[in-house]
Amino acid sequence: MSKIVIEIEGLGKRYSLSHRQRPDSLKTWLRSLARRTAAGDSRHSSDEDFWALKDLSLQVRQGECLALVGKNGSGKSTLLKILSRITPPSQGRALISGRVASLLEVGTGFHPDLTGRENIFLNGAMLGCPEREIRRRLDAIVDFSGVDRFLDTPVKHYSSGMYVRLAYSVAAHVDADILIIDEVLAVGDAEFQKKCLSHLTNALASGKSAIVVSHNIPVIKSVSSHVAWLREGRLSEIGAVESDVLQRYTA
Amino acid sequence: MGGKRDRIPTSMNDRAPSSRSEATLLIDGTPPSWRAYWRELRAFHEVTRMLIRRDLIVRFRQTYFGLAWLLFKPLMLMAVMSFAFGYLAGFESNNAIPYPLISFCGVIPWYFFSNAVPDGMNSLVGHLHIIQKTYFPRAIIPIAAVAVDAAEFLVAWLLFALGCLWFGYLPSWQIVFFPLFCLQLLLLCTAIGLLLSVLNVRFRDIGNLVPFLLTIGFFLTPAGYTLARIPAQWQAVYALNPLVGIIEGLRWSLLRGMDGFPLLPVIFSLATTLSMALGAAQHFLAAEADLVDRA
Repeated sequence: MSKIVIEIEGLGKRYSLSHRQRPDSLKTWLRSLARRTAAGDSRHSSDEDFWALKDLSLQVRQGECLALVGKNGSGKSTLLKILSRITPPSQGRALISGRVASLLEVGTGFHPDLTGRENIFLNGAMLGCPEREIRRRLDAIVDFSGVDRFLDTPVKHYSSGMYVRLAYSVAAHVDADILIIDEVLAVGDAEFQKKCLSHLTNALASGKSAIVVSHNIPVIKSVSSHVAWLREGRLSEIGAVESDVLQRYTA
Repeated sequence: MGGKRDRIPTSMNDRAPSSRSEATLLIDGTPPSWRAYWRELRAFHEVTRMLIRRDLIVRFRQTYFGLAWLLFKPLMLMAVMSFAFGYLAGFESNNAIPYPLISFCGVIPWYFFSNAVPDGMNSLVGHLHIIQKTYFPRAIIPIAAVAVDAAEFLVAWLLFALGCLWFGYLPSWQIVFFPLFCLQLLLLCTAIGLLLSVLNVRFRDIGNLVPFLLTIGFFLTPAGYTLARIPAQWQAVYALNPLVGIIEGLRWSLLRGMDGFPLLPVIFSLATTLSMALGAAQHFLAAEADLVDRA
């Protein structure tokens, strides 16, 4: 068995519903503080809790690609956000071995006034890839994206297709051990999508691991090795992609 | 993986530590230690550099005068200050130092402070779309925002050097203390920027309050005049403003023949700066983890 690269134990994420009507002004915050003090209760007890994720445990081994499926609001994105360290878990823990690249959105941190080249370096740094490594892979990135003629044009002048192609190319070329991908495989035209999928398949074959969220069943079948079905924040079923988890999910 | 339904994972203790060759990241929702956070800041130092570079590029791209703005702004400030305070209000210099040089030492730090504080404050809110989609230590964002203004601040001193040539004026040995006061100002601005940036995510009231306070602060800061204009019995209270010690210290370090070393303001100011830096760092570290949930 290859080694475990992601280990999730009893992970949970709680949002208090009253917090969601957030205290966006000092007045409402002071008022709620006064109310809590008067009632003499602690911070959370009066709030109605909502668990976006609850008691989730699973493991991902090296070379595996786990696809998360489930309805909107089932906790898939919350899980990816916790693993990407964007939001902290309320309970449980996750252990990750190796460098992570999170693609929760294509082109995070792209600035419209910067040129394609400048954005490659900025985006690469945000994905944890040192400038010298990006420099070495610049040709590959540009080649993959197919925007070479416009490399020194500010990206605000790019077509939306060029924009996502460049953004995805950067992400595809940072040398991460673990990829966390949220629906971003659905970018660009059919040809570029095929390129992305084969790139991901190659990465997995070379020992990288991935967790992806997708609603696209054929894509899941072609790239992932395992499927986890989330329902209302809980892990409902998990199994190999060939098992009948997907069948029951789509049923 | 591969089992069915809520399978119980192997306990962590069962595995030999050697099975994890690279560093293992633990995500359990507890805030990092100061040391761990410092390591993170260093690991992501390229993001800091890239953000500073991005802001500098964006600030001057598509401008006709480009980098010349870096000198225009302080030059115009000094000219207007000399006119308003030196000529109109008649704050003559009490000694042989040309008034424009005295006001420059006050106006430039104030200009930096009054830009860096709101820029730091708005930085996290302005980058929420990034914070919600990718991870790097969030402190990088306000630090980079303040650093961009700091770069302008440092360039402005070139103009001071030109002014010295123009007036045939030579600073004394005390100039060796100049970098220290600059560093202190940088630390103060960063501390306030860090603190306000997280507060601003929760309470957008701050965005209304701070520009107002800065307008008031200008008059309570010896930018266009010197500490000597303040009546002696009020100087101690006046010096509670940490900028007083810094600006008077800068003047002392650069201008020969100013009235002695401003000991009390400098001590006050150092104490305020250091305690603010510690408090801001502590608050930021505690608030950072669930910043996204509070936005």
